[in-house]
Amino acid sequence: MSSHSESIIREPLITGENITYSQITNDVLRPVENKPTKAWWIGFTVSSIFAMLWVFAVSWTFWYGIGAWGLNKTVGWAWDITGFVWWVGIGHAGTLISAVLLLFRQNWRNSINRSAEAMTIFAVICAASYIVAHMGRPWMAVYSLPLPNQYTLWVNFNSPLIWDVFAISTYFSVSLVFWYTGLLPDIASIRDRATGIKRRIYSICSFGWAGSVKTWQRFETVSLILAGISTPLVLSVHTIVSMDFATSLEPGWHTTIFPPYFVAGAIFSGFAMVQTLLLVARKVLGLENYITMFHIESMNKIIILTGSIVGVAYLTEFFIAWYSGVEYEQYAFINRATGPYWWAYWSMMSCNVISPQLFWVKKWRTSIPFSWVLSIVVNIGMWFERFVIIVTSLHRDYIPSSWAMFQPTWVEVSIFIGSIGLFFTLFLLFIRVLPSVAMAEVKLLLKGASEQAKLEKIKHGHEDKSQVEFYKEALEKFDSVDLAKYGKI
Amino acid sequence: MESNKKYWKGLEELNNTPDFVEKNKHEFAEPIPIEEILSGTGLMAKTPRRNFLKALGFGVGAVSLAACEKVPVHKSIPYLIKPEEVTPGVANYYTSSYDGHAILVKTREGRPIKIEGNPSDILSKGGVNALAQASVLELYDVNRLQNPVINKAETSWSAVDGFVKQQLSLIKAGGKKIRLVTSTVNSPSTLAVINDFVKAYPTAKHINYDAVSYTGIIQANQNSFGKAVLPHYRFDKADVIVSFGADFLGSWISQAEFMNQYVSNRNAKSLEAKKMSRHIQFETGMSLTGTNADVRIPIKPSEEGVALINLYNEISGTTLPGSKKLANNSIADTAITLAAKELLAAKGKALVVAGSNDVATQVLVNAINAKLGAYGTTIDLDNVSNQYAGNDAEMVELISDMAKGDVDAIFFLNANPAYDYYKAKDFTAALAKVKLKVSFSDHGGNGEGNQTIGDETSSLCDVIAPNHHYLESWGDAEVISGYYTIVQPTINPVYNTRQAEQSLLIWADAPVKDYYTYVRNNWDSSILAKGGLSGQKGWETLLQTGSVKAAEKPAGSYSFSKDLNAVATTILNQSNKITASGSDVELQVYQSSVMRDGKKANNPWLQELPEPVSKVTWDNFAAIAPKYGEKLNLKEGDVVKITVDGYSVSLPVLFQPGQAQGTVSVALGYGRTLAGPVGNGVGQNAFPFLTNVNGTFQTSSVAKMESTGEVSILAQTQTHHSYEGRSVIQETTFAEYKKNPAAGTRKNNEKKVYTLWDEYERPQYNWVMAIDLNACTGCGACVVACNAENNIPVVGKDEVRRRREMHWIRIDRYYSFNDNVTKEKEINKLDNLDHVSVVYQPMLCQHCDHAPCETVCPVLATVHSSEGLNHMAYNRCIGTRYCANNCPYKVRRFNWFNYWNDSRFDNYLNNEHTQLVLNPDVTTRFRGVMEKCSMCIQRIQAGKLKAKIEKRSVKDGDIKVACQQTCPTNAIIFGNVNDPESEVAKALKSERTYYVLEELDVQPGIGYQVKVRNTQPTVA
Repeated sequence: MSSHSESIIREPLITGENITYSQITNDVLRPVENKPTKAWWIGFTVSSIFAMLWVFAVSWTFWYGIGAWGLNKTVGWAWDITGFVWWVGIGHAGTLISAVLLLFRQNWRNSINRSAEAMTIFAVICAASYIVAHMGRPWMAVYSLPLPNQYTLWVNFNSPLIWDVFAISTYFSVSLVFWYTGLLPDIASIRDRATGIKRRIYSICSFGWAGSVKTWQRFETVSLILAGISTPLVLSVHTIVSMDFATSLEPGWHTTIFPPYFVAGAIFSGFAMVQTLLLVARKVLGLENYITMFHIESMNKIIILTGSIVGVAYLTEFFIAWYSGVEYEQYAFINRATGPYWWAYWSMMSCNVISPQLFWVKKWRTSIPFSWVLSIVVNIGMWFERFVIIVTSLHRDYIPSSWAMFQPTWVEVSIFIGSIGLFFTLFLLFIRVLPSVAMAEVKLLLKGASEQAKLEKIKHGHEDKSQVEFYKEALEKFDSVDLAKYGKI
Repeated sequence: MESNKKYWKGLEELNNTPDFVEKNKHEFAEPIPIEEILSGTGLMAKTPRRNFLKALGFGVGAVSLAACEKVPVHKSIPYLIKPEEVTPGVANYYTSSYDGHAILVKTREGRPIKIEGNPSDILSKGGVNALAQASVLELYDVNRLQNPVINKAETSWSAVDGFVKQQLSLIKAGGKKIRLVTSTVNSPSTLAVINDFVKAYPTAKHINYDAVSYTGIIQANQNSFGKAVLPHYRFDKADVIVSFGADFLGSWISQAEFMNQYVSNRNAKSLEAKKMSRHIQFETGMSLTGTNADVRIPIKPSEEGVALINLYNEISGTTLPGSKKLANNSIADTAITLAAKELLAAKGKALVVAGSNDVATQVLVNAINAKLGAYGTTIDLDNVSNQYAGNDAEMVELISDMAKGDVDAIFFLNANPAYDYYKAKDFTAALAKVKLKVSFSDHGGNGEGNQTIGDETSSLCDVIAPNHHYLESWGDAEVISGYYTIVQPTINPVYNTRQAEQSLLIWADAPVKDYYTYVRNNWDSSILAKGGLSGQKGWETLLQTGSVKAAEKPAGSYSFSKDLNAVATTILNQSNKITASGSDVELQVYQSSVMRDGKKANNPWLQELPEPVSKVTWDNFAAIAPKYGEKLNLKEGDVVKITVDGYSVSLPVLFQPGQAQGTVSVALGYGRTLAGPVGNGVGQNAFPFLTNVNGTFQTSSVAKMESTGEVSILAQTQTHHSYEGRSVIQETTFAEYKKNPAAGTRKNNEKKVYTLWDEYERPQYNWVMAIDLNACTGCGACVVACNAENNIPVVGKDEVRRRREMHWIRIDRYYSFNDNVTKEKEINKLDNLDHVSVVYQPMLCQHCDHAPCETVCPVLATVHSSEGLNHMAYNRCIGTRYCANNCPYKVRRFNWFNYWNDSRFDNYLNNEHTQLVLNPDVTTRFRGVMEKCSMCIQRIQAGKLKAKIEKRSVKDGDIKVACQQTCPTNAIIFGNVNDPESEVAKALKSERTYYVLEELDVQPGIGYQVKVRNTQPTVA
């Protein structure tokens, strides 16, 4: 694709000097081809301990029943579906980055799409595990599939949960195929450099990638087709998840604003999670030249946008509750803000609405520590959003006699914390065995959009002076650029 | 080395020729015929294939046999000779009686599984209360004593008989006293048996001992009219009822009967005739009766006597000495004046009752009632109640006799003074001096499976001769003079127990030792004739109808002519004594309508039945007024220590709106120590708080109350108490109703309904329900009936605390204040929460025609039927709980655990034995599935099948669902609304009908009728 020379007004997507194609391969494959570092081991140990906790808590639930959780006759869903929606939402950034940004030719996606897609897949695995774990009889989960059977029983196509089954399974399979297709040339690169058993394994995994022009051409086409298929999924999956709530009768759930509001929230939380992961990964894996301040800032801008959409949605809900004149809905919303779960509501409001607005300040949105902390704050906020929607709506609905409070037990808390451990375990395994940056796609940018290419251009002296100044100013925020060398020019 | 010596077998071996070596190799070998098989004939030949099949057959057979071996074997033994009347799968009903109420016992394959009301019962007209419903569970209580016991060792009945008779003959020779302590016996046959026993042992005497007695009323009637009886109250004949602390819809004398009487003047029929009784209640704690009253005024226990004196003054126009206004309770004063006017205006149709057990107070009440012309109309002193005959003084005397060593033998039948006597320690000390101590108690224990301990009293006895459960017994009862009911066994004795009467007959060496014959003779000789029956045919008729009613004596009117001055002085003295001063608080102990005196504490259905007013299960508590609690800096759940005369209990606080300020109420019947695994340690024992004043046990005293700093969360099934002004509850006043029968219904006739839904066809039946909020008193009988009918698991205190009780039907109870304040926010701003109104609403699956649960179930586990029902297919359910979330009525219940097979729930009598009470028509549910009211679909099915066999269509009234069947006030009507002549169709046509959350257009199948309160005084 875009290997053409790019104007210097645009910020570079690759920084550093003397970056060559093989340098990129060397940099990206460092964790794959070498023994794990101490940092990796520490991270992996901690994550897998939490993943074991997840196994334990889920097994506990299967053994004793859902009663091991804190749910009751009034609040039938709480941490389970909160966790489910949270994870599905997180997955959305990956698809948006890999599919939508591809179609919109946003080249900066090339450095982050691989990790983001991996994140999507692992997040959807965590979400799917909740679907099974929250069932009273998980061993009968197969009933939710429209399989022909001798009872001639069918599923209920009116139920949003069935739509969920289709949405999540489609989402998972399409994401997996898209991710893996993108991996093929990179796996081939690993294969070419590996020896022995490793070479054999990567050889099989690369599906015999030969790197011919025809192969590349088809690769590009398939990527575009898959991007086309994935793009509607970015909107549809969380729309359908939101319909679990929106199509119900529950005051606080029964809201037409849910689909766009949920999609925005999903992208919001997804980008926050990408930030959480990549800000650490780029440092530990030494990928500062490929995942640059430009990427970080761009993602922070998306966080401002989606965070604001979510904020508007929160306010709209309140307005509509008042405007509708429905006393149950009015009560549900007043209860959210002032009822016994007010702290959850205000945690959500401050984390999701107020905190992303801080990114309007350029200094903060280009600060790595600040971005990282805020990305975590956003994810906490998004967890609270789902908790608020689910628990504070359910706990006081129509019939006041049934109003109840919900308190979680250690089991459901462990399942949630454990699912984060599972997620990180999978992610850490991923960066050990597969390239965490799409090498082939980054290489496309080297000739045109890299800092060194632009420096060459400036050195030739044909560029407009004011443009050069503008460019140099833009580079100031980059932590991976040595500005001294621009001083001479 | 010698052992290595080789012996050769021939020259060939010695020479070891190559030929020999070759042959020797193949000495035992048989070549495998591979070549043969492969070379054509082999595989084609018949023999190998057959062999193969044989081997295969044998192999499969052997494997199958081996696999069969480990399969658990469930023995089901068919009847060798089928009893004529038992058809598997078809229920048989037998008449019997419980507490003197005629009932029907439903049995399946010889097991009683359900108590049903008997429509021919003249007391409650086909309803039974929660206690009766729960009684069937006690039959299968695995903690019942399974054998007779002598000195804590199981033994045989002959050993018991030998021992007791020998002891009795010695005692008889010694000439000291023999005492038979029973709770009130109203069975003519049992009384006859006791008489026979007394004849055989002339020093014997029968003492009726009621844990909560009505001695005050009985003595007062003796003083006033010379008749030591408990009168038969007729609430159905009263237009104006004023009650001073008498919980007549709850625990007072005869619950189901009074409920039926009371509601007969307030139900739909009565309202249509523009008639509604008026009920004013003065009381301390909020009782079930108080919640139903039109006007309820909280008064302290110390104010009750003064208030009654004032009422008497107002009615008689005189002034008794010492009369005074109530200090700090002008509302009550005004109410008394008004009540007096209303009572006088309704002369002859007025009734004043008081719950006090004080003789003087009851004499004053008699005087008031006499002035109101109540005798002969609302009070019947000629056809009296035999429900309670206990005499407190006799019991006190007995204990002093025992302490003196004058009593040599004592028998306890259905009496447990070691637990419920107010000075239990004195009792146990005195009991130790008695030579022969025999208890007939059949239950109790420390909950550890030891079957020889018995209850608090029987554990102190030498002999426990366990009685039959009433469902295993013959017997009878006469609770109202002239109304005789029969008790007949519905099952062979489950354990090696023996009927107490039979034991007494054997020990008395009576001529007839078989109690069946005894009862039969008794009826043949004296009772059957009263109902116009005789002989074998008469007896058989009796067994089919269950009761005999002798002609009623005319109820005479009685005039009161005693001097009241001394009475007033006594009352005022007592009032002064129980007036709290300083930091003290006035304590009232009461019986809850559920747990009563605690005899049924080991019944988990009752323990888990929410107490109707507080909605608390599995505990008693210290009820105080919310504002008073705030003043004392207490929060709900704070544990307080209540002390009277050195005895103290620590109980969690419950904020009870309507509780009189400066008072605390504590329920009796809790704190059992040897009730069994269910009842032990539930709550605290309040019996020691009773005081013996002027010869009767009284319920009020002055107590110290201090916070312990501990917190104990009560297991309440409802924690939000106001209905927030929502249309869930619709109510009006009688005055409004008279103007417009549709008053109170928030109907919007201009609404347009747009629907996305398909209409369901309901060609033949459309099962619906009508529930009259004005007839429902909130007692909870339906909840227990539903438990029994639908195999609803008991989950225990912890799980109720987690809000996971499984009841399919619940009674929602809402408070509103100052007539119209229903929102929590506004309630919090009120300074005074004394003016509280209560409404009860039975809530169960509404069987919506546009059911929101049905749409969201991913696997179609809950679907609509062609008869208007919302079905639940347990086997299809995967337990997503989406249906429960989407149910606006929150009536769906999830099986959080595997209640029927989980050791953590065993102490709620979930064991193989107790499971015999399960209704075989209703499956028990596995963990992880949703369940809910099915409108007793098994009963609908049974009704349809019966009609089909009889080649007719289902008639209205053929099918009665469990909650409806048991309701003593007929608040629930079920039926087919497609039949315009059906009772339910007519009821739903009432102007008062509304549907809960109608605006959601889920089209619920249960119509409620607006609650009507008679709040306006009948006289100006």
